[in-house]
Order: sequence, then structure tokens, then C-alpha cells
Amino acid sequence: MNWSWHSFWDFLSSPYLLRGAWTTVWLTVAATAIGLLVGSAAALMKMAGNPLLRGVASFYVWLWRATPLLVQLMILYTGLPQIGIRLTVVECALIGFGLNEAAYLAEVIRAGIRSVDRGQVEAAKALGMNYAKTMRIVVLPQAARVIVPPLGNQFNGMLKISSLASVITMQELLRSAQQLAQLEFRVLEAYVAAAIYYIVLTTLWGEIQRRIEAALDRPFQVAASG
Amino acid sequence: MSTNATLPPMQYVDASGNLVGMNVDLGNEIARRLCLKARYVNVQFEAQIPGLRNRRWDMIDTGLYFTTDRARVMQLIPYSVGALAVITNSGNPHGLKSLKDLSGAVVGVELGGIEERRAREISADLTKSGSKPSDIRVFNSYSDAFQALAASQIDAVLAGSAIGNYYAKRGQFAVPLGQVMAPAPAALATSDPAIAAAVVEALASMAADGTYQRIINQYGMTTIDKWDGYRGKIQYFYTP
Repeated sequence: MNWSWHSFWDFLSSPYLLRGAWTTVWLTVAATAIGLLVGSAAALMKMAGNPLLRGVASFYVWLWRATPLLVQLMILYTGLPQIGIRLTVVECALIGFGLNEAAYLAEVIRAGIRSVDRGQVEAAKALGMNYAKTMRIVVLPQAARVIVPPLGNQFNGMLKISSLASVITMQELLRSAQQLAQLEFRVLEAYVAAAIYYIVLTTLWGEIQRRIEAALDRPFQVAASG
Repeated sequence: MSTNATLPPMQYVDASGNLVGMNVDLGNEIARRLCLKARYVNVQFEAQIPGLRNRRWDMIDTGLYFTTDRARVMQLIPYSVGALAVITNSGNPHGLKSLKDLSGAVVGVELGGIEERRAREISADLTKSGSKPSDIRVFNSYSDAFQALAASQIDAVLAGSAIGNYYAKRGQFAVPLGQVMAPAPAALATSDPAIAAAVVEALASMAADGTYQRIINQYGMTTIDKWDGYRGKIQYFYTP
């Protein structure tokens, strides 16, 4: 048994693997978008004055972080139909990954908001700004700079952990590589090709994250030089 | 030996956690006759052929189907005959009566098995005849596929007939189509011709005293002499 460059190039340029990579990308982007939306709501609820809102958000974050993602996916896909709730594979993946991501992002967002000095919120209040305006103009632009680095970590992790979707038969990057590996048992070649796709995707994301961070820093640099 | 213990009655883990089934009985007896003790590695099917080639185990004992492609990369010892079956929920809720009815149906198979390839061939035939193809879903193991079937996430599973009949007898699933392909024999696979020769010898002695026939028949499978590729004796195939 030896390394076959021929198989390796075949796999690397295979439209099958490329389609799998595309599934990985859109699943990651969609799950992170859902995670940001639900996670922001959960973060704000966790910091709210109302104890009911606080309790609901804390319970959600606790429950989702206390159970493995794989168990959540299996419950969604093969467990819930038993009580009459049958979701499609894509729905299971979006809900499973999205809600799991939201639980972690809620904590990331909460940390970002807390990093903004309380005095600024009080100053905004003194200027007559309401809650929404304070958040939008004073708190979030500063919190975003703190949130983006750990958010980038989560996105990077999500690109890789999305391979778990193969257990509910989603045809993502790893599953596509597994199937290519079965054709002639060129296992090393298939998995190295998949690994290269993952490296390219995470590296591209690293560059995108760098630009987002630079864009968020720009207004603050102007203020400093002025 | 590697085996994928998710497939009753061929190889599975019983309620007390023991590895049991036809292939386990067979493997234990072969090892005993070679004055060895069988040690099983329970691993998903997809990893088994690469693992054999990397010498992680000496033999695959998991009801691997015989194909000439596979006989090119390892020694195959066909030992029993079985067909594939289309397995559905009890009462066949989608009314599957022929392979044509698999048009548009969601069909589950295990990753890397001959069933996956067969399911794709059936689907390709449907496309060729102008029908909608099947939606083939690939699972890590048959236990995952059958769980998804029980949850009605998929319409049918394509798997060995003996497995379908086992579930049908227990009232869990139905077998509307029992003979989907010409019988493909199940084979043991080894990493070395010397091991293959020793296993063939053990099987021959089991056939001579009736142990082999007893184990195969006990689980509703058919002995290898009914296979059209049978050449008068149990033997191994290897044409690299």
C-alpha cells in the first residue's frame, strides 16, 4: 500500500467533495446566524431585571451546555418522531446546531456587553436615551470589539464540528470523504483531501475575521488620533 | 477479528452485553479449531476493510458480501448465501410492491456496504426509466438506519434478508421485498493467504462433521454450496 497522488488529486478536485464542503459552509453560516440571533436574545434576557426572563434564559443556556450536541441531534432526528414531531434532516441540523451555538454565544455576547463600563450606560440614560438607543449607539459598538474574537473561535469550531451532521445523514464534507474513501480504499488520500478543505475554510474565515476586527476598530482609532 | 455488532441475528450485543449471533458462533468455532481464542474488535463497517489492510485485525467476520473487486485487495472466503431485502415499517405503510415503488422513496443504507452501491444502482435504473430516483440516506451503522426507520424518518432500509426476516418475526418491521438481488455470498476476509488457507481448512473440518451446516441453518441462512460460484469445496478467492 502506498500513497497515490493520482487518487489524491482526483479527490481534491472531485465535485462530490466540493458539494460536501459547500454543505459544511452553509450549515456553519446558518447555524452561526441562528446562534447570534437566539444568543443575543438569551444574553439580553439573562441580564434583564425581570427574574422570569432571567430564569428562562439561564435554564436554556444551562440545559444546552450540559448535554452533548450529538445527543441533541439524535433526540431531534430519531427521538422526537416518537411523540409526533418529525423534522427534516435540514431542520434537525439547523435547530440542533443553531440552538447549541446560541447557548455558547449567549455567554460570549453577555461577556461583551458587561465589558462596557457601567458609567457609560448611566451617562446615556442621563442624556435621555432609552434602552434600545443606549444599546445601539453606546454599548453594542464597544461590545462588538470584545465579542468578535471569541465569536471567531466559535465559528472556526463550528466549521469542524458540523461534521457531526453526518450521523443524521447530512452529506457534508466528512461524509463525502468517507464515501470517496470506500471506492478503492484510498483512505489516507480521501481524508487528507478533506483535511485540506477544512484548512482552507478555517484559514479563509481567519482572514474574514481579521477584516471584521479591523473595521470595528476603525472608529476608535480615529477618536484616538483626534 | 473485526465485526460490527449492530445487526441481529448476524452479530449483535445481547441484553447482558455479550457479543452473539451467527458470525460470532462461526468465528469462535473457526478459532477453536485452529487452537486459538477469538478476540473481536467491535467497529463500524466503514473502518473494517482499511483496518484489515493495515493489519489492525487478521480477519473480517461481519458478513461482508463477496465481490470480485474486494477479492482483488484481500482474501475472501464465501461461506453463506443471502439476498438483500427492502425492509419497511410494519404494515408496509408506503405500499412498496416492487423496486419501481422505490421511486421517490427515502431509502437508508450503511456507509460503505454493498447495499449502498445496490441502492444507487436501483435509483439510477429508476432515473433511466424516467422515474424519480430514490433519496438514499447513508448511516454510520444499520442500527442507526433502523432507528431512523422506526422514527419514520426514512421509508425503507435496504439490508440482508436474514436481518429483515429476524425483525419481521419479532413484529418490528416488515419485508415487502425479500429478494432484491441475485444471492451474493457473505464472506470472511483475511489479510494474508496463509491465514485464509488455515480458515478454509477449519471450515472444511466443520463442514465434514456438520457443525458448519448447523450454525448456518440455525440463523435462517443458506450454506455456500447453493451459490452459483461454488466449485465443489469451501475455498478462498484472491486475484490481486
